[in-house]
Amino acid sequence: MFEGKFYNGRTSKGMPAFITLEPNHIHIVWQTDAESGTEVWLLPDIHQLEFNDATTVLEYGKFPRQSIAVFEQGFRQALEQQYRGAKFLSSKYNSFLKTGVKGLVLGGLCLLTVAVVLFFWGVPALAEKAAAHFPEDYEHAMGESLYNRVLEGYTVDSAKTVALQAYLDALQVQSDFPIRVTVVENEVVNAFAMPGGFILVHDAILDKMEHHEELAGLLGHEIGHVQMRHSTKAMARSLSHYMLLSVLFGDASGISAVIIDNASSLYSLEYSRKAETDSDKAGLRLLAQNRLDPKGMVWLMERLNSDEPEFLKFVSTHPRTDDRITALNAHIKENKYKTAPNPALEAAWAELKGE
Amino acid sequence: MEQTSTVLETPVSTPTLAFRGKGSELFSIQIVNIVLMLVTLGLYYPWAKAKNLQYVYRKTELAGSPFTFHGTGKEMFIGFIKGLGIIAVLYGVLFFGVFSHDLTIYAVCVLAFFAGVSALIPVAIHGMMRYRTSRTSWRGIHMGYRGTLGSIFKVYFVNLLLTILTLGVYGAWFTVNLRKEVIGNLRFGNARFSFEGDGGDLFLLHLKGYFLTLFTLGIYVFWYAKDIINFYIDNVFIEQDGKYSRLDSSLTGAQYLKLALGNMFIMVFTLGLGYSWVITRTLSAIINNCEILGEFNPDELVQTEEEYKNATFEDVADMLDIGIV
Ligand SMILES: [Zn+2]
Repeated sequence: MFEGKFYNGRTSKGMPAFITLEPNHIHIVWQTDAESGTEVWLLPDIHQLEFNDATTVLEYGKFPRQSIAVFEQGFRQALEQQYRGAKFLSSKYNSFLKTGVKGLVLGGLCLLTVAVVLFFWGVPALAEKAAAHFPEDYEHAMGESLYNRVLEGYTVDSAKTVALQAYLDALQVQSDFPIRVTVVENEVVNAFAMPGGFILVHDAILDKMEHHEELAGLLGHEIGHVQMRHSTKAMARSLSHYMLLSVLFGDASGISAVIIDNASSLYSLEYSRKAETDSDKAGLRLLAQNRLDPKGMVWLMERLNSDEPEFLKFVSTHPRTDDRITALNAHIKENKYKTAPNPALEAAWAELKGE
Repeated sequence: MEQTSTVLETPVSTPTLAFRGKGSELFSIQIVNIVLMLVTLGLYYPWAKAKNLQYVYRKTELAGSPFTFHGTGKEMFIGFIKGLGIIAVLYGVLFFGVFSHDLTIYAVCVLAFFAGVSALIPVAIHGMMRYRTSRTSWRGIHMGYRGTLGSIFKVYFVNLLLTILTLGVYGAWFTVNLRKEVIGNLRFGNARFSFEGDGGDLFLLHLKGYFLTLFTLGIYVFWYAKDIINFYIDNVFIEQDGKYSRLDSSLTGAQYLKLALGNMFIMVFTLGLGYSWVITRTLSAIINNCEILGEFNPDELVQTEEEYKNATFEDVADMLDIGIV
């Protein structure tokens, strides 16, 4: 028999009670100055209560519940012995609580590993997979709105844009998306591809080029990015981190702000080395398909190389241009390329350079 | 004849508050939670949350008796799915706008998103208060929330409008009036709560806190935070059978400084794994410094509230980062 308090669910007054553990029920005798009574608690109607400590609290029945509170006296062990396996005593949480420091440390370390792997690899990989299955017209629409937003920050060279588009039209291109190119005024030797087939070319890179094969190579490279959905994947990757963080810190309204703020800066995300190498190969394929000199890709790399300040070559996360050139040369040697003159392209090139 | 009262007579409980949770215990619960959430791709979240709340409530004591959280994972799962649906629709609108072709649609969608979120806030507070209080009991006596959606909407939007019109100055009154509405509708059996703070006082606290923080190069920020916490706690009054008592917090700036810096170090050095300790440290600092002054008699509460099990806005409130209780 154990001494404890009984609460009847109608008032908060604790009534002194004697509690006996019978085989199929708990028997409670309570008494106050004014009244006294007995209760029979059937085992199936006792509620599972976890996290009990020195005081064991049990609740019983429907709303409003009766309850008892018993301070130590071996009550907990007596319950476990008497009602081994009863539903109200089972708890996977309580059993883990008993594993002690070793279990906790081990569990914590495992968790940390899983979290790190998930954060740096799992979630971004999942986001990339999802991005690869975006409907094409959705990707195109997304790219278009991004493109329009990005263009607001540049001055478009419309004459060169028309000429470049004419050059592109004369090229044989395989792409899931309609390709649209725009030439903008900018001194940095560069070009970007955005989701859905939108390509932005700085005029500086066009001015530097000496052969039209370089231009074909550049377009092939950027179309490669588009075709392999590199920027959509990179966007999904970086967004997935924001989403995960905001879920972790329970701040869903934060994501919206980030998305609105950064929508237009997402286009300049860096691609992985592998993405660049794959796009270089796509550039080579385009040259081969149009029977152009594959050296165009190598010349293009040399243009990029000449523009890169020496100190940047050490810090850049991009594959080094020299490495890319070596890889391209190796690739060119392995395959036989047949070249043939292409008057339409040359005419378009002359038009572009003549401006 | 002093000795006639029986041995079984209960001594009158003193209404002390205490938090007895341990970081290591909460951590072991979190580990199980996270593993189960990973295995179920996050669907376990409502059950995990229910367990956390059950632990925290069980370790919070009034007059030596623990609180009980009766919410179940199942109830909260249904709420979670409904809440997720509402949030998903709002985000759908936002994404549609962000990736749409023209600026008008963009503007309309962004506006609709923020209008939706701000309308959702009072609804979420109302729903969460109804659910959370109804599922909270102490010695079998349930809490309850008697507020109506109409009245919280009115309070929320009138005050929001005034706050916008005064460029944020009215924010302090907004906070206080919202608390008056929410806490004023709180019941604990036959005891009722009220919030007696004054918007002007809160405004002055913010003003003082802001400038002293500036002048002390940020050091005063801990005392500032302490003042705000104590303002929220000290102005909560309890009426029971016509007698009044109030909560009183003795949290000091130095204690808050220790708490905040400690929490920061724990988070940084455990890479966030020590979050359980952050929770238990914070709760013990706040609850253990809190007492009830006055004639509140914890032995004389009477059951008055009905049962309410709809958890839809429990998680919406979480997602919107609303923390009232
Ligand atoms: Zn590239």
